[in-house]
Amino acid sequence: MPKLTIDGKTMEVPKGATVIQAARAAGIEIPHYCWHPGLSVAGNCRICLVEVEGMPTLQIACNLLCADNMVVRTQSEKAKGGRADVMELLLINHPLDCPICDQAGECKLQEYSFRIGKDRSSFDFPKVHKPKHVRFSDKVMFDAERCILCTRCVRFCAEVAKRDELDIVNRGDRNEIAVKRGGELENDYQMNVIDVCPVGALTSMDFRFKSRVWFLENAKSVCSGCSRGCNVTVGSRWNRVLRVIPRENPHVNQWWMCDAGRFTYKGNDADTRLGAPMIRKNGALAECSWDEALDAAAKGLRDAGADLLALVSGRLTNEEMWLAKDVLAHLGTPHRDVKPRAFAKDDFLRTGDGNPNSRGAALLGIAPGTGGSGLTSLGSRAFRGAALFGEDLDDRPEALEALSKCGFVLVVGSHETETSRRAAHVVLPGVTPFEKDGTYVNVSGRVQRLARSVIAPGEAWPDWKILGALRARLTGAPAPRTPADAFAEMCAASPAFSGLPWNGLGEHGADARTPEPAGAAR
Amino acid sequence: MAYVKVKRRKLTFAERTYVAPIAKGMVTTLKHMLQLGGTERVTMEYPEQKWKLPDRYRGAPVLVKDAAGREKCVSCSMCEYVCPPRAISIIPGEIDGPVEKAPKVFDIDMLRCIFCGYCEEVCPEEAIFMSEEYELCGQTRAEMVFPKDKLYAMGEKFGRDGRTKDPVKKYDRLVSEAAAQGLDLTK
Ligand code: SF4
Ligand code: SF4
Ligand code: SF4
Ligand code: SF4
Ligand code: FES
Repeated sequence: MPKLTIDGKTMEVPKGATVIQAARAAGIEIPHYCWHPGLSVAGNCRICLVEVEGMPTLQIACNLLCADNMVVRTQSEKAKGGRADVMELLLINHPLDCPICDQAGECKLQEYSFRIGKDRSSFDFPKVHKPKHVRFSDKVMFDAERCILCTRCVRFCAEVAKRDELDIVNRGDRNEIAVKRGGELENDYQMNVIDVCPVGALTSMDFRFKSRVWFLENAKSVCSGCSRGCNVTVGSRWNRVLRVIPRENPHVNQWWMCDAGRFTYKGNDADTRLGAPMIRKNGALAECSWDEALDAAAKGLRDAGADLLALVSGRLTNEEMWLAKDVLAHLGTPHRDVKPRAFAKDDFLRTGDGNPNSRGAALLGIAPGTGGSGLTSLGSRAFRGAALFGEDLDDRPEALEALSKCGFVLVVGSHETETSRRAAHVVLPGVTPFEKDGTYVNVSGRVQRLARSVIAPGEAWPDWKILGALRARLTGAPAPRTPADAFAEMCAASPAFSGLPWNGLGEHGADARTPEPAGAAR
Repeated sequence: MAYVKVKRRKLTFAERTYVAPIAKGMVTTLKHMLQLGGTERVTMEYPEQKWKLPDRYRGAPVLVKDAAGREKCVSCSMCEYVCPPRAISIIPGEIDGPVEKAPKVFDIDMLRCIFCGYCEEVCPEEAIFMSEEYELCGQTRAEMVFPKDKLYAMGEKFGRDGRTKDPVKKYDRLVSEAAAQGLDLTK
């Protein structure tokens, strides 16, 4: 275990650690472009120069192994001067088109020019110009002039996405990043190159010019695309989600997320969003007040009683599943199920299970109980009533056909679907995962916080509020006022969550108490 | 706060009749009537007569184009960010050519604008200027939100010469430099 001193702080670090890692662990930030904690060391940008006692020249901190009795200075005049000179070199041909660059505001080149160097190049000759808007695919746009050739993107594709698709072509100041063999980027994780690119050379086609990043409101949340539950930052403006980017969590997704996860927000502003509760009158759905709709829903559920089939969406939060289960227990029905949702699987992050909270459902026992039947029995068996909490059967025409024959059908959902149009007697407008707080349990048993980033349209209520109100009408139990209330109630009653603190889940979540679901699991 | 009791002077009888002050006022009026103080006027026959504005007067902010008639604004949103009363709202859009970006929507709410000139100061493209226009009125609030076209028209009409018809065509230089290196940036 080498012991070294950085800026007067003495520390002991594990063998094999580099100076930049040691400094980071000690809270000392050394500027860096090409180094990324999740990628191999390239050592080509030279901005991480530090002074080391006894060494004649400045050293790059990202590729310098810590050694015993090493004395490192990051803030000496020599080190600062070295970094300022590197900045100057990087700016020789940089176009400095920050006004039209999407990276502005979160650009390392801007930050470091501001902090350690000049904000313009002192090179008098014309700059070397390169192609400015090159499509790498329909998701990624490349600007060769802005690229500082750090090769982070190249290394990401080769090392993390395991598809060696990018490389540097040409020589000298004509160096450029290009997709190999002139093709397009194809891997399912390609949009991560946008995040790793320290400058605005790689930008998102989807987010392109939508808004400057400093206007975004950012919510630290969890992706609802699959059961991995990658940690994300959701950026929104004008009450609209504009982008979803990964957020570091060493227990779940490290620094990455898949491309599909970034587009989960797409349906959020759809025209089919439900904004008011509806009741079917004379064959047609008509808008009504919440009280009227909730009363009708409660009556329908009570009438169906133990012969009610409940489909609880694997996209609902734990709190909502818990409330739903409480309602079903009161009605005495054992017929409950979660509709499986397919999602292409790979050997990196994508789990193949499109329900972000299947694990939560299993932990809470949302599966057919003793003597109960599930989704597959719909059609072969008649139910007096059915309740779809956040679920639809649009992709299963036969099941939908059977559903529409039920005496009473309650649909709680965020969007108008074929199911709600055809089968529902009562429709209660719920919200999407971007519009509520709650918790999900990911595939490895990590309980993680979902955070609201935008406000739902019209009179839609978050599903936990709907379920709380339904339960209050059926059992008289008080409706939780916040998702935190529902969470506390759930933790007190179910061993998998016992003692977990709502506010203590932090940014990285916590492991469920009994990660393996007990008994009734499927 | 401490109270201060103001001592009022007791008025004399002559003062209380108001005869003397009224007479004094009449004398002033009469002097003006007979033009005893000379003929110079301090008022103007507005709106027939217009005020000659001092050079650094800050009227309504307007948008300008460059000498080639191209929009200079690249919707960088710096002005939107800096504007203290948040009078500006911009929705950026994509365009063809080397600049890539121009505002799709550029609104200034003239009811909100406080004519501070920050937008002019912050603009990296010298696309927005404080003009000489000070006659801003309308019947509704919506009418007072000036859209992009109107702001450009005002730029044509009320812009100050030499500032708004900018001879420096930054992107022309970019394109010609690139062309000299064998690269076509106009596509
Ligand atoms: S495109 Fe970005 S990440 Fe790739 S080499 Fe250039 S600057 Fe680095
Ligand atoms: S792997 Fe799953 S959780 Fe992660 S970003 Fe993709 S869809 Fe979202
Ligand atoms: S002059 Fe000031 S208040 Fe008016 S638009 Fe510009 S920045 Fe905003
Ligand atoms: S600061 Fe200038 S270039 Fe930027 S949006 Fe405003 S007017 Fe346009
Ligand atoms: S971060 Fe060390 S050389 Fe780039």
